[in-house]
Amino acid sequence: MEYRSQKIASWYFTIALLLFVLQVMMGLWLISNYVFTIPQEIVNVFPFATARAMHTNLLVLWMLLGFMGGTYYIVPEETGCDIWSPRLAWLQLIVLVATGVIALAGFAAGWTKGRPLLEIPPPLNYLVVAGALIFLFNVGMTMFKARRWTVIQGVLLGGLVFLALLYLAGIPFYRNEVIDWYYWWWVIHLWVEGAWELVTGAIMAFILMRLTGVDRQVVEKWLYVEIGLFMFTGIAGTGHHYYWIGAPTYWLWVGGIFSALEPLPILLMVIDTMTYVRHRKVQIANPHTWTLAVGCAVFHLIGAGVWGFAHTLPQINYYTHGSQVTVSHGHMAFFGAYALLNITVFYFAMPRLKGIEVYKPTLGKIGFWTMSSAMMLMGITFGIAGVLQSYLERVLGMGYMTAQSYMHLWMAVTLVLGVCFFAGVVITVIDLLFPKPAVKPGGA
Amino acid sequence: MSKKSAFWLFLIGTVSSAVIFLGLTWDMHRQVAALSHADKLSDKVVAGKRTFEHYNCNDCHTILGFGGYYAPDLTRVEQRIGEDGIRYRLRHPELAFASSPRKMPQQHIPEGEIDNLVTFFTWVGGIENGDWPPQDSKNRLTRGEQRLVAGATVSPGAAVFQTKGCMNCHSLHGTGGTFGPALDTIGRQLTMEQIEHYVRDPKSVNPKAMMPPQKELSDRELEEVAKFLAKLK
Repeated sequence: MEYRSQKIASWYFTIALLLFVLQVMMGLWLISNYVFTIPQEIVNVFPFATARAMHTNLLVLWMLLGFMGGTYYIVPEETGCDIWSPRLAWLQLIVLVATGVIALAGFAAGWTKGRPLLEIPPPLNYLVVAGALIFLFNVGMTMFKARRWTVIQGVLLGGLVFLALLYLAGIPFYRNEVIDWYYWWWVIHLWVEGAWELVTGAIMAFILMRLTGVDRQVVEKWLYVEIGLFMFTGIAGTGHHYYWIGAPTYWLWVGGIFSALEPLPILLMVIDTMTYVRHRKVQIANPHTWTLAVGCAVFHLIGAGVWGFAHTLPQINYYTHGSQVTVSHGHMAFFGAYALLNITVFYFAMPRLKGIEVYKPTLGKIGFWTMSSAMMLMGITFGIAGVLQSYLERVLGMGYMTAQSYMHLWMAVTLVLGVCFFAGVVITVIDLLFPKPAVKPGGA
Repeated sequence: MSKKSAFWLFLIGTVSSAVIFLGLTWDMHRQVAALSHADKLSDKVVAGKRTFEHYNCNDCHTILGFGGYYAPDLTRVEQRIGEDGIRYRLRHPELAFASSPRKMPQQHIPEGEIDNLVTFFTWVGGIENGDWPPQDSKNRLTRGEQRLVAGATVSPGAAVFQTKGCMNCHSLHGTGGTFGPALDTIGRQLTMEQIEHYVRDPKSVNPKAMMPPQKELSDRELEEVAKFLAKLK
């Protein structure tokens, strides 16, 4: 660790990891609601809806804290300067975590904006905006003062500004339900298939460059190509959410064509990652970090690329829209693209922040493979339930709950897999919070 | 490829996609009033939307296919179960879902807000959204319903069963609701006269019955539907 101000990142990471554990616990409660009959008295005070709001908001919060911590770790190394104000970084962390805690308590008490994933009500929205502005200001000042611009910095800052701007589209109250959903996707889609991909591209490029010693010029060139493809396919690809909301029918064409191309940049990312690893110029000190980076790229391709493509064409989407197929895709894509990215960053940075150059990878490996295999299988079981739902409910016209009864077994299997996933998460989090140095420093 | 041309590729890719997207967004705003029948978007509909959000309905139910996947889609709920069906479930979810493996919370929603919600759902049901969801599409009758309609020419009772809302609670061959018992073999248990009597006033036979008396059926309709059901053995 060269820069003292990088230390702040470890607090962001630690809190992110604890929220991750909470998120998965909430997920286990949600799947239990599918498997068991929850008595009316419990449903009255803690309905599925409240738990879902918590599950999804915890996801957003921990991932954003992870990105922010990652940024605070990377920016000093990229600019060659300490963070402009570590105090502001602290203030920002306190503001965001306090907002998160109030929001979660509020959900439990029924205080919600009632828009899925964007349940945080208006007064708290402005605290989120304040936290984001402090962050952008702090990062921006660090970069402007250093004046050592790199493409990675530019893409990172651009992605973060884009991310913050899009959040604003979700704040107003829209009278028309159609327009409401139209702009809801400006936040949700343009985040995960736009702004977050920029941040991911930049962070991934930084880590791969550090890990493999591949020339910066090469990494940054391909970063441009990747994000160019992400933006080209992703922005107009938002249209794949506008098929059935009451928007004009040309979205069937625009959404279908652009989103069918969306796997391409992810494929390029996988190829780039593999190429850098093959042409590495330094010995990789921590092979597990490399496993994670490659795992992230591959799972990103499967979860977001393949699973997304599977139901993005309007002819298919007509039957799968709003079914468990979406749940399958959502879980695989978020885990592959963003959970694994964050975990890669954590494994890259957290041991080093504790002064451990080469860490012992045993627990980390167990955690990674448990999580990844459990999530892969969950993607499949959710997917089977979703295909059953699409066919029984949408094609045959069976009643909603009758169709659900045929899916019950698959949801029960998902609960078991969810417990396995949770075990993997706990192992990973413990390993990250208390990393051990490798027995023989420097490797065999 | 040089880094410079990679940069131009990024810039052109981003700008061209953004131009298409923003241009179509502008056009969407021109067309949305007609597609969503914004002339019928009254203050009461908006109040219903606020109620819908206040009770966080959307984190269990989907609407236009978005939201929680724990409960049925609400886009065409008014056409599927009717105003009374909506009101009953909102007032007494603990009764309506007593035998269902999934419950809906009793949130003690005031009558005025229930009114607004019904207005909101009615308006949403009219949005021209490419005939989604398929299960509620009038153009794509489900196979179960097709079978019933085919039978309706020989059995007017089947037509009554299908069009008078019986299927909101009862099912035949897996098609229909799950509140009430499936009626696939009801003729084994009850005669035509017994069915007629029961449908007219369920509580007189079984004081704990949750089925409301079907007052709006004409005598002729009741006779036909009882005849149809009594044959199901």
